[in-house]
Amino acid sequence: MTSSLPGFLFAIPFFAAIAIPVAGFTNQKLCRPVALGALVLLSIVSVIGLSEAVSHGPLSHEFGGWAPPIGIEWVIDGLSGILMVAISIVSLIALVQAGPLVKKELSGRLIPFYSLSLLLIAALGGMVLAGDLFNLFVFLEIGSLASYVLVGVTGGRSLLSAFRYLILGTIGASLYLLGVGYFYAATGTLNMVDMAQQLPGLLDSRAILTGLLFIVLGLSIKMGLFPLHGWLPDAYTYAPNSTTPLLASVVTKVPLYAFVRIAFWVFGMDAVSVQIPVLVVLGWIGAVAAIVGAYLAIWQENFKRMLAYSSVSSMGLFVLGFSLGTETGFAGGLFYVLADTLMKAALFGVAGAAVYQCGANTVADLVRLRRNMPWVSAALLVSALSMVGIPPTAGFFGKWYLVVGALEAEKYFAVATILVTSMLTALYFFRMFQHMWAEEPRPLTEPRVLETPFPIRMSLGILTFGIMALGLGSDFVVGLIFESVIPEGF
Amino acid sequence: MIRPHDSVIVHTLARVFTPIIQLFALYVLIHGHDSPGGGFQAGTLFAASVILPVIAFGIQGSLAVLERRAIILGAVGILLYAGIGLLPLILGGEFLNYGELPIPGMETSARRHWGILGIETGVTLTVAATAVSIYYSLRERGEEEGK
Repeated sequence: MTSSLPGFLFAIPFFAAIAIPVAGFTNQKLCRPVALGALVLLSIVSVIGLSEAVSHGPLSHEFGGWAPPIGIEWVIDGLSGILMVAISIVSLIALVQAGPLVKKELSGRLIPFYSLSLLLIAALGGMVLAGDLFNLFVFLEIGSLASYVLVGVTGGRSLLSAFRYLILGTIGASLYLLGVGYFYAATGTLNMVDMAQQLPGLLDSRAILTGLLFIVLGLSIKMGLFPLHGWLPDAYTYAPNSTTPLLASVVTKVPLYAFVRIAFWVFGMDAVSVQIPVLVVLGWIGAVAAIVGAYLAIWQENFKRMLAYSSVSSMGLFVLGFSLGTETGFAGGLFYVLADTLMKAALFGVAGAAVYQCGANTVADLVRLRRNMPWVSAALLVSALSMVGIPPTAGFFGKWYLVVGALEAEKYFAVATILVTSMLTALYFFRMFQHMWAEEPRPLTEPRVLETPFPIRMSLGILTFGIMALGLGSDFVVGLIFESVIPEGF
Repeated sequence: MIRPHDSVIVHTLARVFTPIIQLFALYVLIHGHDSPGGGFQAGTLFAASVILPVIAFGIQGSLAVLERRAIILGAVGILLYAGIGLLPLILGGEFLNYGELPIPGMETSARRHWGILGIETGVTLTVAATAVSIYYSLRERGEEEGK
């Protein structure tokens, strides 16, 4: 069914990204309302898009009225609809929270911050909606360029980590583009649906094999999959606190989406698990990533760095889930992606609030939160328990479905990996709890710290509520995934 | 501060070439969609016609205004592009489907013609503004380090 909704989903944040410098040129105070207004609108339209796609089947938009496969096609189906909803809502909350931080950290450079954030969100939307491999690349690059600047905007150490991110990210994007070139040479098309029809006869081709290898490598760098995660810890640690909730929650998830889309929709389950067994290899890499990421997180003193390694570990779990080859494993992987989006936004939000309010950078410093910042402490507690996987939080159900999926696939090693990762996650979060609650704070030397400003408290509250609600409503969400997302071939 | 060049030859040639480059930029823009050329090429030509007098005569005079505002002009260019793209989308068609632009009394093919010219103008503005601001920021950086 053709529809103009996918066009609007891109046009709203993109238009806002350009309107912000124009509006902000006359009055800087206009930036924030324009950005937040656009994101509220985007959230509403993406919810409409998802419900339309679930009830009427995929909606496609042909750019300029040119029919695919020649023209450019954008599609909302179950998978892209769900991700679009997650991206728009989480980025809205992240930008609400960023308000007080931007004033302090970026010394009022509102125009570049809001404009680039909106451009990043527009590009993530473009990647999720793109119906052809080349447009996916274009938006991958737009989004990456915006995030390089957002990482390096404060200068100093962050500039260095942004440069490293830029070099590695560009290598990743080039590999992806090279892979797309091989695919184009072999099939003569870039449209995903068209390519999916041509590929089954071409799976013996060396060009397809090489292209797939390049694409998987390129996207693995972009999603920070161990051992190609080199850029990620520094980028997340030194990026300004106003941008980390947005960067850490959605930016690595979208290249993962691109991989899932190419593996299961363009190639199909059979091709990637039997004929070219990339899923087998990625399953092992995911298992190693999950354990090594969690192990490295235990030894980090800096709180944000610990969370960054925790992201590396979660990415391993997602990849492991998607490569299990069962419906439940796929649904668990996707559900855990949604849960992790909320959890990482909340955790990096807490890290930002801790630095903003009492200069707490390290895990040991978090003791300062406990007496005077009950809201932030509560958000930290709930999201940490969700990361560990304590019911009834969203993290528990994500891991539950992953374990069930692994049992269905009779991959007991994967079951063990998920459980060990949970243990290690518990270890580093309980170390944090020990610092927060078991140690005596130094009451006399510590200056009194006040609770954070209202926008930070409100967005952390909403995220915490969201983690609980996603956990309690997991039946509904997983039912939705089973009904309208699971690709053919399972 | 960008100092003027002191050669008479450079001054005279810059004075002769600037309007010719601008005229050629307009030609490239207007004929972009049915012959070689287009917004990007026209934009770089326009930028060259702004940068050349600055190299020859220095930054004094009316062009100094462009220094800070060039990037806003760039945003206006993208707004023009996105606006023309968005109009058909709002009216129920597809993004950038010029055939559905609401221009009364015009054939579909003529609408496409003017639509493309409109977005090419947007591209020209943005490319010219971006190139000029890149030139200015490189120049500023070079002068800071040269001191």
